[in-house]
Amino acid sequence: MVGLTHYLVLSGAIFSLGVLTMCIKRNAIGILIGVELVLNAASINFIAFSKYQSGVLTGHIFAVFVILLAAAEAAIAIAIFMNYYTNVQTIDVDRGDTLRG
Amino acid sequence: MPDYQTRLILGVLIPLISFVILALFGPKLGKPKASWVALLAIGLSCLLSTSVLIGWVGKSVPEREALTAAAQNNQYHWSDLGSISLDVGVKLDSLTVIMFFMVTFIAFWIHFFSIGYMAGHSDEVDGTSKYHRFFAYLSLFCFSMLGLVVSSSLLFLFFFWELVGLCSYLLIGFYFDKKYASNAAMKAFITNRVGDLGFIVGLMMVAAFLGTLDLEQAAKNFAAQYAGVTGPNQINIFAADFKLFGFQISGMAVATLMGIGLFCGAMGKSAQFPLHVWLPDAMAGPTPVSALIHAATMVAAGVYLVARIFRLLTPDAQFFIAVIGCITLTITALIAIVQTDIKKVLAYSTLSQLGYMIFGMGVGAWVAALFHLMTHAFFKAMLFLGSGQVIEGCHHEQDMRKMGGLRKKMPVTCWTFFLGVLAIAGFGWPWAIGHTKLGLGGYFSKDEILAVAYDRTFNMGGEHAAADAHTSRSGDWRIANSERDARIDFASLDTDSTFSILNSTFVASADAPPHAEAGGQDAHGGDHATGTKEKLAIASTLRRLPKWMFYLPIIIAYVTPFYMMRAWWMTFCGKPRDHHVYDHAHESKMMFIPLVVLAGGTIFCSYWLFRPMIHDAAKVATNAPAVVAIDGEAHSIDEAADRVMMTLDHHAAVPAHDWLKYYVGFSWLIGMGLAWMIYRNGLETAARIKRAPLFSAAHAALERKLFFDDIYDSVLVGGTVVIAWLSKNFDKYFVDGLVNGAGYATRVAALFSGRWLDMKVRPNDLGLLDWVYNGFIGAGAMNVATAIRRPQNGRIRSYIVFAAGSAAVVLFVILFRDQISSSWQWLTAGLRATAATP
Repeated sequence: MVGLTHYLVLSGAIFSLGVLTMCIKRNAIGILIGVELVLNAASINFIAFSKYQSGVLTGHIFAVFVILLAAAEAAIAIAIFMNYYTNVQTIDVDRGDTLRG
Repeated sequence: MPDYQTRLILGVLIPLISFVILALFGPKLGKPKASWVALLAIGLSCLLSTSVLIGWVGKSVPEREALTAAAQNNQYHWSDLGSISLDVGVKLDSLTVIMFFMVTFIAFWIHFFSIGYMAGHSDEVDGTSKYHRFFAYLSLFCFSMLGLVVSSSLLFLFFFWELVGLCSYLLIGFYFDKKYASNAAMKAFITNRVGDLGFIVGLMMVAAFLGTLDLEQAAKNFAAQYAGVTGPNQINIFAADFKLFGFQISGMAVATLMGIGLFCGAMGKSAQFPLHVWLPDAMAGPTPVSALIHAATMVAAGVYLVARIFRLLTPDAQFFIAVIGCITLTITALIAIVQTDIKKVLAYSTLSQLGYMIFGMGVGAWVAALFHLMTHAFFKAMLFLGSGQVIEGCHHEQDMRKMGGLRKKMPVTCWTFFLGVLAIAGFGWPWAIGHTKLGLGGYFSKDEILAVAYDRTFNMGGEHAAADAHTSRSGDWRIANSERDARIDFASLDTDSTFSILNSTFVASADAPPHAEAGGQDAHGGDHATGTKEKLAIASTLRRLPKWMFYLPIIIAYVTPFYMMRAWWMTFCGKPRDHHVYDHAHESKMMFIPLVVLAGGTIFCSYWLFRPMIHDAAKVATNAPAVVAIDGEAHSIDEAADRVMMTLDHHAAVPAHDWLKYYVGFSWLIGMGLAWMIYRNGLETAARIKRAPLFSAAHAALERKLFFDDIYDSVLVGGTVVIAWLSKNFDKYFVDGLVNGAGYATRVAALFSGRWLDMKVRPNDLGLLDWVYNGFIGAGAMNVATAIRRPQNGRIRSYIVFAAGSAAVVLFVILFRDQISSSWQWLTAGLRATAATP
């Protein structure tokens, strides 16, 4: 029987993979994918907790917000990548270190 | 042999397996082998569906109903949405079986054709082959389309619906290195999103009011609510009373909105009037894709959806559907006249025929619309493959003005194409020879839609009934019904089509007695009869169709043969107009086998296979109180008068088909003859007509596609550009102005204070202030900055590592608080003990 733990383990795994993706990918799109993984892991957590706490829909609503946020974030992120590309002719994020101290 | 349900599910899953294989190992399989996988998969699906079809045809009606019920009860419980149970299951009825067969059969031959087509096409982008990708997408498409067909739940239908849209996007944009292809793909996808918004709203309304997303259950609940019975988890939609933007919305209007919402999805996918703009552009995809997706199967999904939600529609929603279909079929047929690209002509004719189907659904011709869907799928796939053959043979030339005279170079293509032209034109002999009628599938199916439209316009309803319906639009519709007698002779409504399966020629025999079907179809049994009675009671209160909704489809029945004949003649007949194209033209064998097979299907399959199956499904699928479903009973010339569907008692019984043959009986001959007269001597006559004053304006308007693209461009794209411009300037001048202004203000203040300090402090400076500033604070800041500068290397990835690492440390501290504190205590205790000992 699938219980809360299974969901949490799944979400933890996805979260870790997402963070790992963000850390090791040089491609901006790859990083965006990592962000999405992290967000989805969070959503799974919300839903899982909400499911095992009967009568509460807060988690569900949060998950919907997360989806909304992810969509908005993807739109903005890709716009940023486009601008980034026009400036440095690549989407390798390591090349964009003009903000270094 | 596994049961039907399992076989259908296997048939759905095999293409998915093929997709996975091609997605993972496609590049390794390489050019010819990748296509074999896809072909094998769809071939297996086709075999399975054929076996199901054969078994199903052999069953009697009670056996079929038992199987349907068994499939309905044997669903897998997937999840719960609040109190709504979400189940996965197979909707097993005649419509599913025949649709499944149609999709797999056509898809198989199109896969076959694709192998020949792709062999001659460059499929490389930046040195990487996309060959396997093409077949992977085709497999994915087959999976999603078949899933859509078998879904028993609106929710799963919606999932597959979206998958189909995705595949369409991927395949239209297959040549994504070409700008026009990627633009067309986006246009298709975005236009479909607009329709899907309505679909989602409709889905939510179904879930909220009817308390279920299962098709069967939703229809039952809808009927029950209409009768006043509201089950648990439901809200009676007919009793709903809303205030929206200050308008009072009655229950009937809410139910209508639900139906229209669901129909919006069909408007997107079947490319109906306001959203029709994507389909002609979708011809940017490879031609086999145009044949499979944008002519035969995917665009038919919208019609299929309307057929499935038919029982959730109200008369007003149906009327809306009919109006949309009528507008679509008219404008697109007119635009088709002036197209010069061979694929565009076919695209617009597809739109027009889809308009006929949707119009048929709207006027209640459930059987006729689906029958038209089936026949159209066959001949349109054939026409598109023929055009693919032409384009391939002519070295990628699509302009018909440069073709001509190809008949000698590609005879098989020419004559199969001509068969398709005849079928779409509605080739048939309107008077019976003895007891048989001659005609191709398109003739019977289109005629049946028109016959129902005729009934709805002239035979049904009545003056006072129409007036009643007019007043009852505000919501008293139900009351109006219940008080009305069914003044209609409905005994003849359910007479069976009785076209014996043994009549396996295209000569449909109508001499079998009406009630002597070997299967013993139980037409008058049980609740169906009462359903029919109610249905007719409602039908009598319906307003009549306005006359233009009958005459427009009739006129377009003349236009269709004209533009199809024009395309055929310009391509295959006359003198070659471009010798470069003509000399290059050739026919590929791999590609004409599917043409011949589909031509066979066009001739033989329609009347003896499709119509009885659909007619059989109609018994259940249209048995609902709130819709009008009329069986057109095409060309049952014997006892024609008995077979009139709905005739008010004070009206003379006017058999629709007897009248219809005077309207459109020879439309195919007239339309095609006109095209032949204009185009037989090349393009000069047409050019002369084009120069005539009235025609030139019309031609210009039609060439611009009646300005739809221009309007959308200026309103939607232009509007977006204006908003973008405004927000850009807001950002540039207002937001940036604030930031820059703040910076400027700081600078001014600094300058000011510097002057002031210079004047007031400097003269009395003891050096201490400077020393403190420079030596102490300055050096300290420098040291700190140097220290924290190192991690600030500007690289996003290292920031993420720091952030994640810090979060991990914090998490570690929080989680192991106790352990940390206890080990700290242990450590300090140890240290203290060490310090204590000398």
